[in-house]
Amino acid sequence: MLEMRIHGRGGQGVVTLAELLAKVAMEAGREVQTLPFFGVERRGAAVKAAIRFDSKPIKVRSQSYRPDILVLMHENLLPIGLADGFAPEAVFVSNGTSPLPVAQTQWLVDAERIALESNLIIGGKPFINVPMLGALARILDIPFDLVAETIRNQWPGEKAAPNLKAAQNAYNSVQQIKGGRCHE
Amino acid sequence: MKKILDTGNAACALAVKAAKVDMVAAYPITPQTSVAEKLAAYIGSGELQAKYLPVESEHSVMSAVAAAAAVGARVFTATSSQGLLYMHEILHYAAGGRLSIVMANVNRAVCAPWCLYVDHQDGVSQRDTGWIQLYAASNQEIYDSIFLAYKVAEAINIPVMVNYDGFLLSHSMMPFEIVDQEIIDEFLPVFQPDWRLHPDWGGTFGNVTPSDEYAPFRNRLADDMIKAGELIKNYAREYKELTGHWHGDLFDVYRPEGGEYFLLSMGSMAAEMELAVDILRKEGIPATGLRLRVFRPFPGAELSRLLPPDAKLLVFDRNHAFGTGGGVLLSEAKSVLFDRKDQVKITGQVMGLGGEDLPGDYLAQKAREMMEVLK
Repeated sequence: MLEMRIHGRGGQGVVTLAELLAKVAMEAGREVQTLPFFGVERRGAAVKAAIRFDSKPIKVRSQSYRPDILVLMHENLLPIGLADGFAPEAVFVSNGTSPLPVAQTQWLVDAERIALESNLIIGGKPFINVPMLGALARILDIPFDLVAETIRNQWPGEKAAPNLKAAQNAYNSVQQIKGGRCHE
Repeated sequence: MKKILDTGNAACALAVKAAKVDMVAAYPITPQTSVAEKLAAYIGSGELQAKYLPVESEHSVMSAVAAAAAVGARVFTATSSQGLLYMHEILHYAAGGRLSIVMANVNRAVCAPWCLYVDHQDGVSQRDTGWIQLYAASNQEIYDSIFLAYKVAEAINIPVMVNYDGFLLSHSMMPFEIVDQEIIDEFLPVFQPDWRLHPDWGGTFGNVTPSDEYAPFRNRLADDMIKAGELIKNYAREYKELTGHWHGDLFDVYRPEGGEYFLLSMGSMAAEMELAVDILRKEGIPATGLRLRVFRPFPGAELSRLLPPDAKLLVFDRNHAFGTGGGVLLSEAKSVLFDRKDQVKITGQVMGLGGEDLPGDYLAQKAREMMEVLK
C-alpha cells in the first residue's frame, strides 16, 4: 500500500484535491481510499487528508502516521507535516520554488504561479488544488489523460479549460530535487 | 452495475434513493449532516419522489417517521449521537408499534464531554428499545445494508438501525458498486404493509391496553426479534444471489482455519482488525477475526457455534457498559456463552472512545495483552 498525507489550510480545497486524485488513481485501476481529518474547520486553519493506494481492497480504517508521500500546500506547513510523522523513505512534495530544509527526496511545483496563469483565482487568491492534482498525478506516474478525464467530469463545460491548463502545466513542470522514487 | 468513489454518507443516501422511500424526515447533526442534505437534494430535484419533512428536533423526527410508517409509507431518517439519544422515547414507541422504519445512525461519541468522533456508545445505549441493529465496516456494506434493512423491517415489522462509524466511514471515500435499479426493485418491491392506519382499514394505534393485552404485544416483539436473525441470514443470501455482494450474515469471519483466539469487534475497527489478525498469524498465534454485523438480535447461538472447544474470546468494545468493568459486547458474549460446558475463556477491553485511533498494530498489541490475562 502507498499512503499519502496532504497538509493544507481550510478553504484551499484539500478534501476536493484528495477526492480528485483518488478518482484519477481509481481510473488508473488502483484501489483507493481517502480519509480527511476534520477538526473544527475554519478558513486558514491547518487541515489534512490521507489518500491510500493499493492493488487490493484497503482494510485500513485509521489515520495516517507514516505516509510514503507527504504533501504540503505551502512550505510553512512543514513543521506540522513533520510533527505528524512520515515513513523513513518518504518523499516530500511542496507548493513552492525553494527546496524544503529536509534530507528527503522532494518534488517542487510552483502551484501558485500556475494557478494565477490559468486564472484559477478565488477571493483574490490563487486556488492551487488543481495544479497540485496535476503534479501529484505525475509523481504517481499516472497518465495525464486520466487527469483530464476526471477534470472534465468534475467541471463539465467551460470551467474545464482553465483547470485542464493548470493541471497540465503542473504535470509538466513539477520537478524532483534529489534522487529516489515512489514505491508501492 | 457501476463502481463509484464516494463517502459513506453518499453511499447511504444513494441506497435510500434506490429504495424509493416515500418520506424522509431529518434533523442535521455532525457527522450525519450530508445524508440529510443529499436526500433533501434528491427530493428537491425530483430524482426521488418523496416527501421531505424538515423538523425542529430529533424527537419530532422519530415521531414524524413513526406516524408516516403507521399510515403505510416507506420511511427513512438518519442521525448521530445526541440526536439518537433525544429520539430514545420514540424508539421504544416505534418498535412497540411494530413500525418498519429504517434509520441510519452515524456513530459518534456522546456528551459529556463534547466530542465529534466515533464510538459506539450512542448505538449500544439503545440496546433494549426493540430495534434491530446492524453495524457496517465499509461504504459498500453501508450501501447494501440499507436494502437489507428495509427487507427485514418490512418482513417482520420491526424497525432497523443501520450503524456506521462517523468520519472513518461517513466522510472517507471508498470505491463501491451501485446496483442496477431493476435488481433493487426485484429484491425490494413496493412496501405493502399488512396493516395501516387508515379510515378504510379501521383500528387504532398505540391505544391504552390492560396488562393481559400489553404483555402479549411485548412478548411477541421479543419472540419476533429472535426470529429476525434467521431472516437477516436468508435475505443476505438472497441479496448475494442477485448482486454478488456479500459481507457475511450475522458475523463476518476472517481466517477461521485452526482458530484458537477469536477477536470480536464491530464497525470500522473490525475491518482494521483483519490487519491485526494477519500480524498475530505471522507470529504463529492462531487468531481469527469475528466481525459482528448484527448487534440486535444478538447472535448468541451463532457465536457459540463459531467457537471451538476451549476457544479464547477477546472482546474489543468501543463503548462502556458502566458498572460492569467492561463494554457491552463483553457482557453480551459472557451472557450467551454461560451455558457452554467446555472451558471457553473470555476477556475484553474498552478502547477507541471518542475517535481514539485504532491502527492494526495497536489492535494486535491489545490482543496480546488480553491473551496474557487469559494465561
